Amino acid sequence: MNENNNVLIRCHELTKNYKKGNRLVTPLEKLDLEVKRGEFLALMGPSGSGKTTLLNLIAGIDQPSEGVLEVCGEDIGKLSRSKLARWRAAHVGYIFQLYHLVPVLTAFENVELPLLLSNMSRRDRRERVEHTLSLVGLDGRMHHYPKELSGGQEQRVAIARALVASPELLVADEPTGDLDREAADSVLQLLHQLVEEYDKTIVMVTHDPRAAERAGRLLHLEKGRLLETEAG
Amino acid sequence: MMNGLFSKLLRMTVLASKQLIRHRVRTLLTLLGVASGMFLFTTVQTMQRSLDKSTKLQASDTTLVVYRENRFCPETSRLPEFYLDEIARIDGVREVIPVKIAVSNCGASLDVITFRGVPADRLSNYAPEMKLVDGSFEAWRARDDGALVGKELAAKRGLKPGDAFEAVGVRVVVSGIVDSPLPQDNSVAYVHLPFIQQASKHGLGVVTQFNVRVNDGADLDAVSNLIDDRFRSETEPTSTQPEKAFFAQTARELIDLISFTRWIGLGAVLAVLGLIGNAVLLVVRGRVKENAILQTIGFPGVAVAYLVVCEGALLGFGGSLLGVGLASLFLKLRGLSFGNEGQVMALLPDASVLLSGMGLALVLGMVASLVPAWTAMRRPIVESLRS
Ligand SMILES: Nc1ncnc2c1ncn2[C@@H]1O[C@H](COP(=O)(O)OP(=O)(O)OP(=O)(O)O)[C@@H](O)[C@H]1O
Ligand SMILES: [Mg+2]
Repeated sequence: MNENNNVLIRCHELTKNYKKGNRLVTPLEKLDLEVKRGEFLALMGPSGSGKTTLLNLIAGIDQPSEGVLEVCGEDIGKLSRSKLARWRAAHVGYIFQLYHLVPVLTAFENVELPLLLSNMSRRDRRERVEHTLSLVGLDGRMHHYPKELSGGQEQRVAIARALVASPELLVADEPTGDLDREAADSVLQLLHQLVEEYDKTIVMVTHDPRAAERAGRLLHLEKGRLLETEAG
Repeated sequence: MMNGLFSKLLRMTVLASKQLIRHRVRTLLTLLGVASGMFLFTTVQTMQRSLDKSTKLQASDTTLVVYRENRFCPETSRLPEFYLDEIARIDGVREVIPVKIAVSNCGASLDVITFRGVPADRLSNYAPEMKLVDGSFEAWRARDDGALVGKELAAKRGLKPGDAFEAVGVRVVVSGIVDSPLPQDNSVAYVHLPFIQQASKHGLGVVTQFNVRVNDGADLDAVSNLIDDRFRSETEPTSTQPEKAFFAQTARELIDLISFTRWIGLGAVLAVLGLIGNAVLLVVRGRVKENAILQTIGFPGVAVAYLVVCEGALLGFGGSLLGVGLASLFLKLRGLSFGNEGQVMALLPDASVLLSGMGLALVLGMVASLVPAWTAMRRPIVESLRS
């Protein structure tokens, strides 16, 4: 019971197929995985092994073909589109390799986006956004546009955007893949801090062994299956 | 609850306008196109509407025009002034006034000056609805060459009391500016009957037409038959019609021309639809990833669709504000009026034309973005992210 409560992500025989023409591609096949609350999990694996596919399923932006997928206490494989959107807004923040900020919005406005559909007042939103931006170390850049920021700063804005609605789970797809070593280190430092100090659970895909070292747990994915598990 | 929904819609609208404002060049170009279309549309609608007002008979209309039979131009319609007493005696006639018309251009023209010579003592009885907005009636009575100028003609020519102006070979001095609910009256100048008769080669005793007010709009047909029957065997027989029917008959070419512009208006509407549709489609294509990101961070599909529709609607509304505004400014400043054989029709946009123009553009904007909005909303997120 207690142990069950501690499990934030549970995949059982999780399978994902895509139709490519008349061929069926199966990036994930009967995958079993449990991630506990407060874990910092790194996923590694060769290109095409299904890492992004798994992340998308966990983040609720894609739906499994078969199997069980429970995240944050919800069987998200069975939710309707609109319920899933509401679930995402409440429970998960997604960090992309290429940041994907909205170019015509300032750092502040980008981070405010997830709060626009909440019932928070303007003042509460502003406080929350400012607080989150200062947490990622960007209080001085709030009114800059993405093109006025460095890659590392953009990624911090993206992390703030993922964090601002206080989700328990963060997923990150190669968050340091486009950064130089220094910027990458400080982003990893930030993610580490989020797990240690703010009790976030993070699932991070990476190609970078140095990034994987930062994580508490490391999994290898190969051809849609989890190969080995190591303690970090 | 409603309040919450409303403020969320408002926030989404603000977000959509940020997208528009911060893609300045693209937005301006689209607005310019929409504005041109709506300018055209408003102008055409104003013509149609003015034509309707001048030709569509209403229950409240009580004016008949008695013209010389088979004549169509003020130059050739000649009736003896003494018919006046005969007409006044006919049952159902409330008031009658002899009118001598002098017109600068008898054919269809965009810019005509029409003088209506009337007996000074009869005018106020005949047209009690006519209001003086400037100058004085007494000053008009006192001056042989005085003129009461309809407000639209005055605005067009920039006339005010005391000004002299010349047209159709006569020179008059403005004594007052008048405003009437009847569109015809606002585009002409009223002068003294003997004055205009003496200026014309037909001399005293000859008028162009009689304008008759009947007691009840329902009597229009009966009274006009009585009048024409009375003069049938005279050397100058008459043809009597409601004023608007008279206008519709004499201005048939004009009406054909204006009816044709309906198609131009329709073309303008389609152009606006296509323009906004194209602009929104390009926006959605260029924003596939961005919309997927919005959905990833928890925006439901309908919110994304709303953003798209909102951009289309804002483009339509903004463009129409510009186009409709410019068109009404243009029509006001230029003061266009169509004249044909002594009948004048001023082209002035009214509120219903302006409002319907703006409403239409708003709807066009939304309709044009429905399909792009639907695509944006239905596209699977992961596919958009991989693109
Ligand atoms: N929407 C899709 N439609 C068709 N095939 C897909 C789709 N998404 C993923 N695939 C296929 O599934 C396989 C796994 O893709 P995935 O993106 O998960 O790999 P990855 O491990 O993230 O690779 P990389 O390290 O290059 O990012 C690939 O063969 C890919 O072509
Ligand atoms: Mg990937």
